Amino acid sequence: MSADLADALRRLRDDLAAVRLDLDLPGAPEARRVRDDLAAQVDDYLLPRLRQMDAPVLMVVGGSTGAGKSTLVNSLVGSVISPAGVLRPTTRAPVLACHPDDVRWFEGDRILPGLARATGGTPTRGTLQLVPTPSLPSGLALLDSPDIDSVLVENRALANQLLAAADAWLFVTTAARYADAVPWEFLRAARDRGTALSIVLNRVPEDAGREVTAHLFEMLREQGLAEADLLVVAETRLEGGLLPARALEPVQRWLDALAADAHARAALVRRTLSGALASLPARVLAVERAAAEQLAAAADLRVEIDAPYMAAQREVETALRSGSLLRGEVLARWHEMVGTGDIMRALETRVGWVRDRLRSLVTGKPAADEELRAAVENRIEAVIRAAAERAAERAARAWRERVPGKALLARAAPLDRASVELDKAMTEEVRAWQGFVLELVRSEGASKRTTARLASLGVNGAGLTVMMAVFVHTGGLTGTEVVVAGGTSALGQKVLEAIFGDQAVRTLASRAREDLLARVARLLREDAARFDTLLDAAAPEADSLARLHAAADAIKRAA
Amino acid sequence: MSQRLDQRLAALAEAAQLADGRLDAELVQQAQAVTAKAGARLGLGVEMTVVGLAGPTGVGKSLLFNALAGAELASVGRRRPTTSVAQAAAWGDGADPLLDWLEVGRRQRLDGDGLSGLVLLDLPDFDSVASAHRLEVDRLVALADLVVWVVEPQKYADAALHERYLRPLASHAAAMAVVLNQADLLSPTEIRAWKDDAERLLGEDGLRDVPLIVVSARTGEGLDDLRRLLAERVAARGAAVARLGADVDAAVAALAPACEGRAGGVRDDDGKRLLAALEDAAGVPRVVQAVGAAHRRRGALATGWPFIRWVRRLRPDPLRRLRLPDRGEPAGRSSLPPPTHVQRAQVATAARGLADRAADGLSEPWPRLLRAAATAGDDRVADRLERAVAGADLHVSRPRWWSGVAWLQRLLAAAVVLGMLWLLALALLDYLRVGDTPVPEVRSVPVPTGLLVGGAATGIMLAILARLVNGLSAHRRSRAAARSLRRSVEEVAQELVLAPVEEELDAQARLTAAVAAAAADGRASRIPHLRRALGFA
Repeated sequence: MSADLADALRRLRDDLAAVRLDLDLPGAPEARRVRDDLAAQVDDYLLPRLRQMDAPVLMVVGGSTGAGKSTLVNSLVGSVISPAGVLRPTTRAPVLACHPDDVRWFEGDRILPGLARATGGTPTRGTLQLVPTPSLPSGLALLDSPDIDSVLVENRALANQLLAAADAWLFVTTAARYADAVPWEFLRAARDRGTALSIVLNRVPEDAGREVTAHLFEMLREQGLAEADLLVVAETRLEGGLLPARALEPVQRWLDALAADAHARAALVRRTLSGALASLPARVLAVERAAAEQLAAAADLRVEIDAPYMAAQREVETALRSGSLLRGEVLARWHEMVGTGDIMRALETRVGWVRDRLRSLVTGKPAADEELRAAVENRIEAVIRAAAERAAERAARAWRERVPGKALLARAAPLDRASVELDKAMTEEVRAWQGFVLELVRSEGASKRTTARLASLGVNGAGLTVMMAVFVHTGGLTGTEVVVAGGTSALGQKVLEAIFGDQAVRTLASRAREDLLARVARLLREDAARFDTLLDAAAPEADSLARLHAAADAIKRAA
Repeated sequence: MSQRLDQRLAALAEAAQLADGRLDAELVQQAQAVTAKAGARLGLGVEMTVVGLAGPTGVGKSLLFNALAGAELASVGRRRPTTSVAQAAAWGDGADPLLDWLEVGRRQRLDGDGLSGLVLLDLPDFDSVASAHRLEVDRLVALADLVVWVVEPQKYADAALHERYLRPLASHAAAMAVVLNQADLLSPTEIRAWKDDAERLLGEDGLRDVPLIVVSARTGEGLDDLRRLLAERVAARGAAVARLGADVDAAVAALAPACEGRAGGVRDDDGKRLLAALEDAAGVPRVVQAVGAAHRRRGALATGWPFIRWVRRLRPDPLRRLRLPDRGEPAGRSSLPPPTHVQRAQVATAARGLADRAADGLSEPWPRLLRAAATAGDDRVADRLERAVAGADLHVSRPRWWSGVAWLQRLLAAAVVLGMLWLLALALLDYLRVGDTPVPEVRSVPVPTGLLVGGAATGIMLAILARLVNGLSAHRRSRAAARSLRRSVEEVAQELVLAPVEEELDAQARLTAAVAAAAADGRASRIPHLRRALGFA
């Protein structure tokens, strides 16, 4: 049983550690606490205890700041091993006292592997102080833990971890403190984990013992903790920093009884262990439930990203198809390049090309085809940029209206505009697209599928013509569209119709358009990825639920 | 002092109004709550001072309350939590309206001994399992003029006190005091160490200046110190104003981050860029061109040589083609093409760039607000531009001299026709050999020939001259039309982009001014940050 169970527990711990629950939902802090507690308890308690059932009982003394935990431990041991005093919080490093024979159990990293061991000297933060003392019976170790409710946050976390590692809790409270809210949260946690629990009611004034004890007992019963031992220590002057034997007597007697009875100790260990194992499914379920909520919230947020960016993609597509990119300058440049009346004349030879280069060399003015290419580039980029900006604004606005989304946005640089890298990426993609079109024309030209007319334009001219065609083809008659879109007069209408109506041009144009749209989609996706990254860093993975469930099942089977 | 507070509260109210819908709703609500509470509290007068005894359960608040009142007013018990409802003791008359406002029902009237004007509240605990108590404490801590936090040796370092109350109230040092109770449980050296440690913790909370008094409610030790502190505060009648001032400080500090930086305003070149994009989207260049072309065409039709000018009619009138009215009256929809996607994209980009640079140097959320303001009119751009173009005065009119020239051309044409007919008649007579018809001559030029050739030459010359003049005038008119269109488009830019952006900038400036006016020293809102940065407060 044990090997399977240990494996299952290790798997559960790893799966738990992998579950991100960082979306700002109402139950999230509590769920994160449950998750961390669970993972820590597997390491600090369940695995070590399963490996060695005969190890001594680890009794953790916990409670509020100023409740007298250290004084109690010191008094039980019979000497000051953990500093006590009026300054709060007193105990900052945990102190473990045990019989010298038992030291070996606690020296290694069998339990609490995260804490370094120290012997002798003053306790320092981040270590576990080991104090061998013959005044404690063997088979039972006392651990004085830091407080659970002082201003020191790391104390609270440590106390929580120590309590999770305990075979039994000796919970110390006082007549002034017993109704505090924080300790009761811990007591409820002990109940839920099935941890064996004894409660010391310390500093009880002579005249109040009966009333306070009765009230505390009543409260314990209300919380389902009636089984817990209740040990009352009266308020007295300390003798040399220790409680006088008379006041300590109830606790001493209880401890001696436990020390004398090996069966009782074993029963205690088993009770806590089976309690802890039995509590696992419910606690895993709580984490699962929280993870499901997180996933649902993440899905909602993802919709808020996808919708505007899909709209942006459609916007660009409509702009491409409407032919509006062609209007004005672009078409004028195209006319300039391919000539107006007689295309053949302007383009049949490379002479025209050489002449253009020479002119651009002399005048410094870029050749017509380069101007045209720049014009096409500008226009495509303007449309993509506006679409991306709007999408980012809309996505950020939608997120800001949801609590988790707002919290996520607050963690990062403002996302309500297109990313700074977009400009560069856009230029690169559009250039790459132009290269793709030229390459396409070149390879198609070689396969002689193009008509003589297109071929007569040369690779550059034909490439640019295909780029232009990308913006007009809707599958219908296209030459007229060009004329309408271009807003030109009847100039060269026949030529345009002939070229753009050409089946070869239409085929090429549709492939070029697909490529351009794919590139636009990629650009927008990269821009949207800024939101996704934020979300992914906070939300659990989609399969985490199933993994947790499987891990919990495996434990149920093995136990 | 109270007058100054009134001014600060008015400034805070204005700031809240300006921040509403712009900044986080929480900040706005906080500021509004402060002004509302201050109005109510000041309305009840500052003659009475409300002091609340607050603290964790079991520290002896009720015992202290009884000790100060000199009577067993509150029940003291061992069972925790003991006090579940707040109760009040009022020294002197007239506390009832105040207690009604505080919604404290259990009240007792006491007399004199130098504490006249004190309204002392015994509050429930805030850290026990009874969570309803916490709500009651939160409510009354927010309303009391002075909060006295009572702690004891066991509980003075509790997170529930420091994290939930003292740290968030760090700006309220003037409205708080701390009492270390149950000193009788400790020895004198322990008391000194305890007090030092409590001071250290308070310093970490940002409350170094809070009065700290060690008492024992059981033995009465130190009670005189506490009584003296209360008597001073009550006699000064300033606790309520100080408390409200601290509330305003807190609200101001919360608003201050949004008031950092100063906007440079809309930059000229951004305005020009926006205007250019809008003009392009409105098709202004085409209209301007059409205005010139239309003038030339109409001029040629009016003043051209009548024998060939009809050719011009074969081409349509460019302005008519756009269906733009000659005068500045919109006549239905023009047939100008609507702005293309590219043009709309360029307008939007120009507007965003303008907003971004105008917001340069402003803290969040202003860049976002300015952007939203600049792009809010996106949908209306096309419509407004068309109306702007259709409504612009394009300076299309017929110059008067055209009709004069037209008459002249008609006259000259008549002369040409007359000359030609005359010559034809002469040729006919000559053909028929009717006889030698005398032809009048002027300076040896036959009159019919003179009419034909002279009329034609003069007409053509006149047409060329008129064409030159019309060309110049067309140029001038298209420039005038461009100016007029620019004015119309400027109005659109103003209405859709510039005015909304300016409105936000104005709101930012006014908010900054209001927050500064609401700040304690009446100066720049940066002060709280500066102070924090320098390690004060």
